[in-house]
Amino acid sequence: MVAAALAGAGCGRFAVRASEKEHLADRTMRFDADGHESAADDHVLSNREGSAGGRGTSGGGCGCN
Amino acid sequence: MRLQLALARRAVAGAAVATALVMAAAAIAPVWADDQIDLTTTWYLERRRGPEGGLSVVHPQLDVQLDAGDSVTVGAGYTADVVSGATASVFSVDAVASATPFEDVRHEAHASLAIKGSRSGLSVGAGAAAERDYTSINVVVAGNVDLPGKNTNLALSYTHHFDHVCDRDNGMAGALERRALTGLQPCERSSLILVDDTPGETVWREVEIDTAEATLTQNLSPTLAVQAGAYGQILRGFQSNPYRRVAVSGVEPQESVPDVRGRLALFLQANKYLTGLHSAVHGAVRGYSDTWGVNSLALEMGYSQYFGDSLLFRLRGRVYQQTEASFFKDAFFYDTEGPAGAYFTGDRELAPIRNVLGGARLSYIGVGQDGESVWGLFDEVRFELKGDVLLLDELPANPEEDNPAGIGGQFLSSGQLIDAFVLQLALHTAF
Repeated sequence: MVAAALAGAGCGRFAVRASEKEHLADRTMRFDADGHESAADDHVLSNREGSAGGRGTSGGGCGCN
Repeated sequence: MRLQLALARRAVAGAAVATALVMAAAAIAPVWADDQIDLTTTWYLERRRGPEGGLSVVHPQLDVQLDAGDSVTVGAGYTADVVSGATASVFSVDAVASATPFEDVRHEAHASLAIKGSRSGLSVGAGAAAERDYTSINVVVAGNVDLPGKNTNLALSYTHHFDHVCDRDNGMAGALERRALTGLQPCERSSLILVDDTPGETVWREVEIDTAEATLTQNLSPTLAVQAGAYGQILRGFQSNPYRRVAVSGVEPQESVPDVRGRLALFLQANKYLTGLHSAVHGAVRGYSDTWGVNSLALEMGYSQYFGDSLLFRLRGRVYQQTEASFFKDAFFYDTEGPAGAYFTGDRELAPIRNVLGGARLSYIGVGQDGESVWGLFDEVRFELKGDVLLLDELPANPEEDNPAGIGGQFLSSGQLIDAFVLQLALHTAF
């Protein structure tokens, strides 16, 4: 994961300029756009399936600040 | 055991890195964020055979986030589960014969403190939950940082649960002699979450859960973002359903499963914006494996389409399949062959299953323009209506040709194509 982060940082530094992040900032492009829905989905599925996790950590954003 | 120890080390490492992020976040310039109130209610209805004809769960969620200065946000929230329906007391070839109605209410409250910088954030939180036969206290720390270029974001989180589950006081009885709870025994608590044993009747058993997750988000182009991550969890303590019995070799003892479970999931997801269509495509894949022998794969696809500036419509579908736990047997084989080693379970979540989900969501999004508030109060209002249907396919764990009883009656599942429905209403406001 750390190696991937460093590789990503190297590639990502110039991948998208700040002025090009209009669509990345859209709520349809965010992986943590709706915490309530994700939590409710997890709640439903964890009571039907034996597996858990793997939906992403909240806070992972697009770097659009 | 090596996997369990590796997961434990990962959890500790996650906490250490997240703590380091506190210091980083404190040193970074602040940004302003909106105050927010989110209110969501989800209704889950599962068709079941039995006296109540189904399982109903109403799940309200309320969260409030308020700015406390330029870089600090405090949050508080409440959730509940109001559950009613039918459950099978004994895992056997005929679940309906032991089906009984039940009702329960679970309350959960949580609070958090977050520090936000221009390139990073850190939050700490705690929560507590209680129901008649289960209590839980949890602490969580999470952090994320944008790497140079702000196209790569690394997020880490660690959660620890201190839980207690009420169990029948079985003293030193062996696995095949243990009695299950019936719901008539007392599960005493001296306060909302502090528990008291009732010798001879019930004891509270500990469950400790460590969960760590690491996520890497990467912008690959102005219209493509991907996210990859790893999730690890270790559960230690009593993990059986204390009410469930299993028909084993002519007797019906309480379900028995291992005290330790290690879980690992790896996932990859991507979002692609389609500029000309004012829409986005979503895809995700997750692989999962645990030390009880459950392995699974989930695939999800979605499509979001804007209609004007205020309406957003989303379609999604998900398919999931898992193998059974190494100690799971179809009911006929527990009864005729006996336990799988020291264990026996009637948990459908540990059986081989295939699950399919399809659904749609409609969102109305109102955003204040040119200094004008929405409805004179809010910077943003979002109202959402969502519906999902779920299909469940139960698969045999043992050779079907050797099972004259079949598997069609061992769970209370309806056997119909559409197994469950989810309806969700949500209101999000920022001001």
